[in-house]
Amino acid sequence: MKLLHCIVIAIFVAITSCTIEKTDYEAELNVETTEFITFEEVTSITTDNYTISIEALNGTLYKGYNEIHLKITNTATNENLEDAHVTFLPIFTDANGNKASCPHDYHLDYDETEGYYLGYSVFTSESDSTVNWTLYVDFEDNSELYAVNHPITVKEQTNLNLNMTAFTGHDDEQYFIALVAPQSPSVAQNDLVAGIYKYNKPANPAGTFPDLSQYSYSIVEGHTLLIDPRMPEPSMGNHSSPNNEDLTQETDGLYHGVVNYTMTGNWTLNFILKNESGDIIKGTEVSTEFTPGIDGEKGELHIDILF
Amino acid sequence: MKRITLALLLLVSIVKAQNKEIKPDSLDTVLDEVLIIAAKKAKIETDMKMAVSVDEFLASNANISFIKRGAYAWEPLLNNMSTERSTVTIDGMHIFGACTDKMDPVTAYVESNNLSDIDIKSGQEGSLHGATVAGSIDLKRKSTAFGLSKTWSGAYQSGIEFNNNQLFNLGNVAYSCDKLVAEGSVSYRKAENYSDGNNDDVNHSQFEKFNTSLGFAYKTSELSSLRVDAIFDKAKDVGYPALPMDLSLSRALITSVSYKQFFENSFVKVWDTKVYFNAVEHYMDDTTRPENLVHMDMPGWSTTYGLVSKVNVKKEQFSSEIQLNAYHNLSIAEMRMYPQDRSERTMFAYSWPWVTTRYAGLSLSNSWDISKRSQLNFGGSLGINYNYSKYAEFNWIFHPGAPQEKTRFLPNLYTSYLVNVDGFNFSVGGGYGHRAPSVSEGYGYYIYNSFDRYDYIGNPDLKNEISYEANASAGFKNKKGGLQAKVNYFYIQNYIIGRILSQGSPMNYQSVGVKGYTALDYATLFNFSMDAHYAVMDNLHWKGTLTYARGLDENKNNLPFIRPLSYQTSLHYSYKKLGVLTALNGDLKQHNYSPFYGEDETPSYTNWNLSIDYSFHIKNYKTVFQIGAENLFNEYYSTYADWGNIPRMGRNIFTSLKINL
Repeated sequence: MKLLHCIVIAIFVAITSCTIEKTDYEAELNVETTEFITFEEVTSITTDNYTISIEALNGTLYKGYNEIHLKITNTATNENLEDAHVTFLPIFTDANGNKASCPHDYHLDYDETEGYYLGYSVFTSESDSTVNWTLYVDFEDNSELYAVNHPITVKEQTNLNLNMTAFTGHDDEQYFIALVAPQSPSVAQNDLVAGIYKYNKPANPAGTFPDLSQYSYSIVEGHTLLIDPRMPEPSMGNHSSPNNEDLTQETDGLYHGVVNYTMTGNWTLNFILKNESGDIIKGTEVSTEFTPGIDGEKGELHIDILF
Repeated sequence: MKRITLALLLLVSIVKAQNKEIKPDSLDTVLDEVLIIAAKKAKIETDMKMAVSVDEFLASNANISFIKRGAYAWEPLLNNMSTERSTVTIDGMHIFGACTDKMDPVTAYVESNNLSDIDIKSGQEGSLHGATVAGSIDLKRKSTAFGLSKTWSGAYQSGIEFNNNQLFNLGNVAYSCDKLVAEGSVSYRKAENYSDGNNDDVNHSQFEKFNTSLGFAYKTSELSSLRVDAIFDKAKDVGYPALPMDLSLSRALITSVSYKQFFENSFVKVWDTKVYFNAVEHYMDDTTRPENLVHMDMPGWSTTYGLVSKVNVKKEQFSSEIQLNAYHNLSIAEMRMYPQDRSERTMFAYSWPWVTTRYAGLSLSNSWDISKRSQLNFGGSLGINYNYSKYAEFNWIFHPGAPQEKTRFLPNLYTSYLVNVDGFNFSVGGGYGHRAPSVSEGYGYYIYNSFDRYDYIGNPDLKNEISYEANASAGFKNKKGGLQAKVNYFYIQNYIIGRILSQGSPMNYQSVGVKGYTALDYATLFNFSMDAHYAVMDNLHWKGTLTYARGLDENKNNLPFIRPLSYQTSLHYSYKKLGVLTALNGDLKQHNYSPFYGEDETPSYTNWNLSIDYSFHIKNYKTVFQIGAENLFNEYYSTYADWGNIPRMGRNIFTSLKINL
């Protein structure tokens, strides 16, 4: 009996443990992505009696799409400035001193309920030793015009789900597509949000800096962004997913659609951008063939993501 | 799991503590008799071989055929229907395999030396254990009676199968006294690759299996007893030549505690209640296949707990069994693919996204002896089946907006009428029943099927499969021999099968496309079998079986895995302590194959087998020695249900020795 007792104990101890641990799915999704939900101060600029505070997600400006919250406080009265006709201009200077900008919201509107000026900026490159970014902010108070500029740092976006691409369309215009959401996708139907912007080519040569006509960008209106997600890994043989929905513009100016990811890993979002009349601005259809062992073909317009 | 361990330990201690001598009573004999009947001593062996695996034993039944993916863990098909359509239980306990590719049917987790019998019921008669279409297979555990004259008993069996160098050792021992029964079994099998009829090795067909079981029963009163049972099974390094991956480890723990109460002078005869828990883990491994383009881990887990409570009632010509069945199962299967550049991010998805199944059902099985010649059987069950998919987002990719949980009602009914006149017997019967889609059919996600090379997607919105069934049999028996013919016909509405999806692209690199589980309007299945036996002389017996089946979908296309005309015939001769058996079995050419579902035509084959056994005594212990050969002519063949047309085993010489202690 003692022996049996021992055997029972031995057997049960031996097998109450699993050999391979089950995957913690929620943790699995956060391996490559971190979801930021709080806006924190990136920098603040003080001029005369005013402090300008600039906020972004995680207190950092990243390459790609950034929602910008801007607050101006009169330090003398400790009051927030409303309707101060705030303008916002990011300027990029390369090693040769050439200046350029990026898609941005120039006239920032005041959001009364939230108490800040709302805008966005799609930084097209990261700051480094040769490339630097400067922010030009103008505002008005008591009919007096104030203009400040301040260096900022644009960091690398490690979350590929907020990746971006810049390209020249068949109409010879310069376009930008930046992913806005989801920050942390899952193996599911994901609501995909992207911003599509265009550089407004100046008609005249540059005047005195900063000549606004040289740095004008606008939201691309009423286009369609066709989507075909695929896994580029050779072993995945150009795997795709069903039930994706092309992106169309909604009232927030951004483009919304649905992308299905069938598993975690590397994905390529192949796009075709079409204008209102259905003409292709950029993008090619990719093969739908299943090609195991071969790197997945990517269309001429695509963004790589990873989650 | 920990709690169960504690409970079991506690029970063992109780059993130990209460092991005191109590005066025997006249009532004991009543209980013993009933228990002995319950522990009917059928042997798990075939005419051909005395040391068989559970699979081989099942194969000797005319209703059963097999899908084979290698030498191990064959998937039993009942009435030519796959395991989703039948309920497979161990002593009424539900247990579900943890492999999405059905590499671990329930029958793989038991061993012939811990079973006493396998109870196969065809069609709706099998609904006693839960909703079914094809029928039920109940694996009966060995259970020793109280107060046997022989306090200790046991058996040891060892042998070799030379084709794949399979060495097996099976041992079991039982202790029985008036108050207590303790029994245990241990078995170990290890086999290398087998070779086919061309004497070529079939790579990846090795296996290693260890199985042990323990059982304790304690007589709590004159008319009641408590029993604790556990089976532990572990298979390692199991090759599946027909699949692109093997099994590195699978383990199952099957436990139960049951309480049995007998009643005297009452129309209620016995009430038997059992709570059970089983956990299965199954880890597939493809590191043994360097030809694979991508390394993939596919672990699976299946955990079930449940309750079976049944009452047997008998009054005059009427007997009845009422059974309450409830279980909860959680099935999880993961897949993780590794890119060639291992530093890159792995790719992960669930093939079973944490799917919970809960079932509760009440079933009734009645038998009424109308007269000495005729009997009416009828019964049915009503069950509630609930499914919940924790990560339903996986299901929404193909079925946007599909419900995360689903409740279904599953009614089952059957009746049959039997007549016995002067050695002739006839029966007619009918049945009606629903079954819920299986976890894979409802919630499976990119489950690779290497037979038709498609990835399968489940559909949570599938309707219940509804079966209408008719069956009949006729037979004749006298002292010299007998003949029995059986037919059944199933008309199955919403027949669930995989159909090519226009959307989606394959995920597994071997696959050619994506199939979704869809319901056909209907499908029909017809099964026929004929058994005959005849005693040519007192010591020369002949037996023969013929089976035929046909399955058609709504467009009169053939269904897959339907057995062609097959036969089995054997002649047994015994002389004193010597027995000789020769048998022939085979299938005819498979004409009615189904290219649409990935089948090709399978040619006919015949196997000739021979075995000789000799019984003798070693110190009063009855001993049997057997030597024999299967596929004596070393024919190269594969059957209609061999996954990927892998060849079957060539000539196999086997020997075994069994000592009854």
